[in-house]
Order: sequence, then structure tokens, then C-alpha cells
Amino acid sequence: MEAHPAYKPIAGYMKRYPMLAGSMFQVHNDLMLAQQWEGLEAVELAAAGRVVFRGRRTKTDDKVQYVVPCSLAESLSLAWFGAVFRELDGVQEVHLGITSEDSSVVYYKLSRGIVKPPL
Amino acid sequence: MAEQTKAGKKNDRAERNRIYAHALPAIPSSSTKPWLGIPLWRTPSSLERPRVVGVFDSATRSVWIIHSEHANLLWRRGFFGKGSLSRSEPTWLARQTGSRTAEEITAKRREERKTFKTERARAIVAAQEEAEAAFAAGKPLPAPFAPEAVRQAIRSTPEPGDASTPPPVLAAEPPEIEPVEDLEYLQLTLQEAFFLAWSLDSLRVLDAVTHNPLSLPALWRASHAAHYMPPAPQLDLRFDNPFLVNYVAYHHYRSLGWVVKSGIKFCADLLLYKRGPVFAHAEFAVIVCPVYEDDTDRATSPFQLSNVDPFSWSWLSTVGRVNSQVQKTLILTYVTIPSSRRVNLAALDSPGCLAEFSVREVVLRRWVPARMRD
Repeated sequence: MEAHPAYKPIAGYMKRYPMLAGSMFQVHNDLMLAQQWEGLEAVELAAAGRVVFRGRRTKTDDKVQYVVPCSLAESLSLAWFGAVFRELDGVQEVHLGITSEDSSVVYYKLSRGIVKPPL
Repeated sequence: MAEQTKAGKKNDRAERNRIYAHALPAIPSSSTKPWLGIPLWRTPSSLERPRVVGVFDSATRSVWIIHSEHANLLWRRGFFGKGSLSRSEPTWLARQTGSRTAEEITAKRREERKTFKTERARAIVAAQEEAEAAFAAGKPLPAPFAPEAVRQAIRSTPEPGDASTPPPVLAAEPPEIEPVEDLEYLQLTLQEAFFLAWSLDSLRVLDAVTHNPLSLPALWRASHAAHYMPPAPQLDLRFDNPFLVNYVAYHHYRSLGWVVKSGIKFCADLLLYKRGPVFAHAEFAVIVCPVYEDDTDRATSPFQLSNVDPFSWSWLSTVGRVNSQVQKTLILTYVTIPSSRRVNLAALDSPGCLAEFSVREVVLRRWVPARMRD
């Protein structure tokens, strides 16, 4: 894993959060090479106890999106999400990148507060 | 894409049957046994086992197959593994170089469906307005809305996507394109890897650091150890290790002939395919429910196995709804974890301890008395 190009940009964080190294690597790998996000960078969040990823979906997109990696084995509480949104001041929504051991990453959109469904 | 002709579909089916002819990596290499010089019948004299090589990765709890020939072999003979950058089959390099892949066909189909839906909505609104106008004017109502007509209209209009797709050869592009390094690997779960190595003898797993091949006992221990946070190979093994519990279910269904894949997209643990994902959608979604024979084992467990407690009705209905929406039958697979007081922990040194586990299935189907009279 250390030799893979998706590892080097987050190598420091992988050592700091060894319990989540697998999920962080898989989400970073997916965003960097498969989804090919622009301006992809890692943001350390103490409240989340991990690194979250920030970037734009395409070159022409202006909106900066956040992805919080987590594993299927974890159980996350609403208080935890509250803390994440408090630390990410001004961000209205994040994507939760849930990883599985077969390398599937499933993304769920989480918004701060109630969202009206689109027409 | 225009509707496929019958001959086109037949060709596709024949092609798929040719590519995915072997259900397992090991194929029988037969020889004809002549009798009095006359070749009578073929007897499988041996199994040709491919020696595929993978690397153990503890952090992602998986085995990585780096060589693309090995990856293709494992995928085509039994649908083992998943491309790390693709939906199922490793197609990342093909997508980078512009070849047509399954992901692109799906994307195009979704685009067409979206166009159809907006056109249909527009037609419905137009028909409503027409009916209202006719009613207000006192004239007889026009003919009822015909969705088939809308579908024909969509088919005949040129696709908006065609104009935007780039032509295959761009005049401005330099004649030599740098070869893209294939950064994709096939990722096998630890259960798939152990099954391939032990039951099918088709995989050799290398240690991540030393690159020495792991023996079967070493692979067994490493797979258990990977679930301890941080990975601890020197700790005593336990019967309720998540690797072992999931391996029991995986081995059970694989040995019965099902193709077993991850069910994360459908709120389940496993998906069961009769032949493989390329042939038909999975008919069954499996949720593995571990059951402790002895509750003290659970109290002393360092693991947090999911679905051990009884479910709430809301959760069960949610999962049932998700799967009935995609026409899958939900199966609850109860795996009984043997008590460490009854069974000697030494049994955990080998997969022989699988005999101590029991697997029971419960099929869950939603029944509506008003509608299901038969």
C-alpha cells in the first residue's frame, strides 16, 4: 500500500490514525483516481478523529465538497456528526464515504439541518 | 444506443458464455484414454491450477492482485474480487484510454432514461393543459395520454449526448500518447483470498513487507490478526473474530455453488448470484447474524460484531423495503459462534474449527394479505 501513488499524499495522516488507515486510503484512492476530483486535499478534523477530504468534482465546478471517510464496522452517533459540522463552519453538507473490504465505497450525502426535497 | 436486434443479443450471450466459461480458477485438464487404440472418453486426469499471486494488506483487510492477467483470470473464473477503481471488473485503464466499458454503457443508459423522464413529464403537462382548455371551452376531451407515443418520439429525436462526445481522433492531439500506468489492482476480501488459497489452491499470498509467500496457517493467522486494532498476530485467536464469522457464511455459500459478492449497496452483507454478476442481477441478499452460544464470550470480546442483538422492526422493515424495491429476496443467515468453554481454543489454529459453527437461514418476504391471494 505504501508504494501506491494514492498513499504518499496522506502518508503522515495514515500513521497518525492507524485505525482508520484503510478507509482513508480507499476514499482517497477513489476520489483521486476514479472520480478524479480537482484540488483534492486532506483536512485534519480533531472532532472527527480522522482526516476528511476536500475538493471539487470537475475542473469547471466551483463548489467545494467534503468527504468524510468511515468504515462499515464503525458506529457513528448524531453527536459525532454534530461535532463534525461544528468544526466545519460554514459547510452545509458533507458526503460520508463508507468503505467496505472489497474496495466498494458508498457515498451518502448528509446535510446540516432539514433539506427540502427537490421538485 | 439503438435497440439491440435479436441476433445482436444472441451474439452477446454467446460471447459472455465464451469469456466466462469456467466457474472456478482451477480447470480440469483432461486427456483421452485410448482403449485398443481408439480414443473413447475424456477423463479429467488432473486439475490445472493457476498460480495467482497477491499481496496481503492489513490496513484495508484485503489481498491485492497487482498483475492484470492474474486479476482478469480471477474475475473471469468465478468473479472473485473487485477492481479497486471500478464498479466490478477492473476497467480503469480502459476508461482512461477511452475504450468502451460497462461503466460508460451504464452512464449512457442513465442519461437516456433521464431525457425520457423529462420528455414524459413535459408531455403529461401538455396533455393536462390541453384537457383543461378543452373542458373550459366545452369541447369534447382529446384522446387519452399515450405513453407509447412519447417513447417513439424520444427514440426518433437525436441524442443530445452525441454532439458533445469527442471524435475518436483529434487533430490537435500529439501522435504519440504516453502510456498510462495502470494504477488499479483487483482487491480480494480476506474471505475470498483464504477460500482461493485453501479450498481451491489457486492463490499464493505474499507478505506485505518481506514479499515472502505466506503459508496457509500464516495466512489464517494474519487474516484473524488484521481485525485487531492495531493488528496483533501474537494474541490468542477467538471464535468471534469478524473474519471467521464472515468466512463461515462465505465458505457455506461458495461451496454450494453461489457466486458471493459484497452487499453494501443494498444494506446487506452478501449478495448471491446464481452464475455471476454479468449474467443476471443477484436474486438474494444475505445478512449475517452472529449468535453467541455463550454470552460470556460476548462480554469479553474485543470485537463489535454487528447484527448480534435482535433487530428493531423499523430496521428490519427498512432493509426489507430496500431489497424488495430491487426485487431481491432477503435471507437472514444465523451463524452460531461456539462457546470457548466447550470447544478447545486450539481448534482455532486451523480452519477445522469451521465444523463447530452452524449456519441456519431464514427467508424474509413481505406478505400483503389483500394482494397475495395465491
